[in-house]
Amino acid sequence: MGALQNCLLRMEKGDKLRFLIGTGHPTATCQGAAFEYALNVAYEIKSRGLLHMAEITWISNEYELDDFGMGGAFIKRGGYVTPTKVFSESIFAEYGIRWIKRAGVSKIEEGVAHYETLDGQMHTQPFDFAMLIPAFAGVGLKAFDKVGEDITAKLFAPSGFMKVDADYSGKAFEDWSVDDWPSVYQNPAFANIFATGIAFAPPHQISKPIKSPNGTLITPAPPRTGMPSGVIGKIVALNIVDQIITGRTVFKHKASMGKMGAACVVSAGFNLLKGNAATMTVFPIVPDWQKFPEWGRDLNYTMGEAGLAGHWIKLFLHYMFIHKAKGYPFWWLLPE
Amino acid sequence: MAKNIVRGYYDESYPPIPTGVTRFWRRNLIWQAWRFIVLNLKIMRIIVGGHS
Repeated sequence: MGALQNCLLRMEKGDKLRFLIGTGHPTATCQGAAFEYALNVAYEIKSRGLLHMAEITWISNEYELDDFGMGGAFIKRGGYVTPTKVFSESIFAEYGIRWIKRAGVSKIEEGVAHYETLDGQMHTQPFDFAMLIPAFAGVGLKAFDKVGEDITAKLFAPSGFMKVDADYSGKAFEDWSVDDWPSVYQNPAFANIFATGIAFAPPHQISKPIKSPNGTLITPAPPRTGMPSGVIGKIVALNIVDQIITGRTVFKHKASMGKMGAACVVSAGFNLLKGNAATMTVFPIVPDWQKFPEWGRDLNYTMGEAGLAGHWIKLFLHYMFIHKAKGYPFWWLLPE
Repeated sequence: MAKNIVRGYYDESYPPIPTGVTRFWRRNLIWQAWRFIVLNLKIMRIIVGGHS
C-alpha cells in the first residue's frame, strides 16, 4: 500500500497527520508539479472528509507563490492586472494549505525537514508524509575526444547540462536579456551535437537570484516544461533534416524560450464531474522586459483560469500525448 | 468567557476565496463545456505561434 494511502487510513482511524510538499533543495525547480501534487493530495483528503485531520504545508524556494521558476506572471482578470501569486494563494487557502516561501531545504531526516529562509534564519518543519522535489542536474555524462582527452567541460556546464547557443558569460541580473537564451540548441564546440528540452544548460535563471545573509542561493532554477521541450525537440529534428538534405548550416527553425509561449494545466482534483484544474498560458516563457516593459509578457496571450474545463483539458492532453507518442493513426496531426 | 476567534494575522487569511457563485460556475457542466472550447483555442493560439 502506498504511503499516501496509508496516511489516509491512519487519518480515518483518528490520527492527525502533517503533510509537507514542495521543493527539497534551495535551487530546485518544477514547482508546478509539486504544486499540482499538493492540490491533489488536499483534494483527495477533503473528498474523504478528512481535512480537519490533516495539516498540509507547502514549502518552496520561490520568493512569492506562483513564481514557478519563471518569475511569476501577471494576468488580466476581473477588471485588474493581477500577479498570479494572488491566485495561487487563493487556491491554497481554499484547499486548506498553508505555505512557507523563500525556503531552501538543506537536510531531511526521518520526520523532519531542515530549511533556511532568505532572512538567514534556520528552521525545522516536522512531517508524517513528505513529497519534496530535488534539484535538477544533468545525468553526469563524461565526454572524451578521439585521442582520449576529457572534454566534458567543453560540452557540459558544471550542472551537467549541455552547453548550447546561449550566453554563458555570467551576466549580472540587471543585464539579463531574452537574447541570452538559445534558439537552435546546437553545441558551440561540436556542430553535430544538440541538446533539447531539459538537456540544455540554461544561460541563467529566469527568476531573480537571491542569496541569504549566509550566502545560500535560494532561487528556483528555470523550468523546462513539456510543451516547450516538445517544440524544441521538433525544431532541432527539422533543422537536422534540413541540414542533411540541403547542407545548410544556418538553421531556419528556431524556438527561443524568450520568443515562444507555453500552456500549462495544473490539476487540482481528479473527477470527471467535480474535478478542478488551472489552465495557464504565458507568452513569452522568459519575460521580455524590453518588448513588454510594463508586465514582462503579452497580456493578450498570458491568462489563467480555474475550473472543471481545465481538468477535461488535462485529461484530453494526456490521451493525445500518448496517442502521438505511440505513433497511432494521424499522430502527425497533433501539435506539440 | 468566549474565545476571540480572529480570521487574520496568518498568510492564509488574506487571499481571495471564491464565493459559492464562483464555485458553482467552476463546476457548471454547460458553462465549463464552453470554457473547454475557448481554453483549447487559446492554447492552440500559443502552440501555433510556438516557433519560427
